[in-house]
Amino acid sequence: MSSAQGSTLSREETDLDSEFSRLLSAQRPYQVVVWNDPVNLMTYVSWVFRSYFGHSKARAKELMLQVHHQGRAVVSHGPREKAEQDVTAMHQFGLQATLEEAE
Amino acid sequence: MATAFRATTKGYRADLEPHERRLLSSLCADVITLLQNREKETTDTPDSASEDPEFAHFRAEMAGLGGDEPLAAPTDEVLRRLLPDALDDEEEAGHFRRLSESSLRGAKLADLRTARMLLESSPVSIQEEVAPMFGRALNDLRLTLASRLNLETEEDAERVHELALASRSKDSEAFMAEIYTFITWLQESLFSAMTEFLPEEETDEDMGSA
Repeated sequence: MSSAQGSTLSREETDLDSEFSRLLSAQRPYQVVVWNDPVNLMTYVSWVFRSYFGHSKARAKELMLQVHHQGRAVVSHGPREKAEQDVTAMHQFGLQATLEEAE
Repeated sequence: MATAFRATTKGYRADLEPHERRLLSSLCADVITLLQNREKETTDTPDSASEDPEFAHFRAEMAGLGGDEPLAAPTDEVLRRLLPDALDDEEEAGHFRRLSESSLRGAKLADLRTARMLLESSPVSIQEEVAPMFGRALNDLRLTLASRLNLETEEDAERVHELALASRSKDSEAFMAEIYTFITWLQESLFSAMTEFLPEEETDEDMGSA
């Protein structure tokens, strides 16, 4: 990244700089985490993972059990836009979900 | 006495008593009202009342598109559970909420309205295509009741279960616990039946595919 030190750039031009950093952050990989809660049923959570992500019965169950026993599971990876889409879908199903930068 | 959902040739069917259908429908109506109030709360700005309505609409559009001001999470516990933060950081969550909350609210309202319509008929028969909407609406009812019952841990879940089975003289909390347990049973039966009809595809190489 370039430095703005000693710059004579006008405000509009520095905004381009911040726009660029926003674009860079959109390129970084994100992940969606589903958190355990005592309300959502195991049958339901498995069904959500199968129908939304297209997982096999076994994989959906494995993920569901990971949420149940470890308190959380990463359910999807991808660019920021994809993570936003997936986290909103999880909220629509009523699951507790957040997005975060992937490690 | 109600019978749970089971698969039929046209979808899923449950036999519910008229008072059970009325109860579920009025709970849906309560959650619809709650979500609509939140909609008013997020679109009414102090100076918008005096404005030309068309301009106010335009401004609301711009606010949605611009997304510069973070939108604070609802103060009501139920709404916080139905419309949760998507990020840990409060400010980031507020920015994301500004862009996404109204479409999430809209999706939930559509589910709940569809559920009310389906609860009009007896028996309750649900076609394959609308079953997910009905199931999500049932889930939102459970989330709402759980929040009102302060159900936050597995121990709380146990307490609510015991409360539902308790004596016949019920206070309002025990009554809510009983309804919660009833909807749990109904939702479980629906998704057990729906699970049978999901195609089994091995697509796990691409973990994020939707």
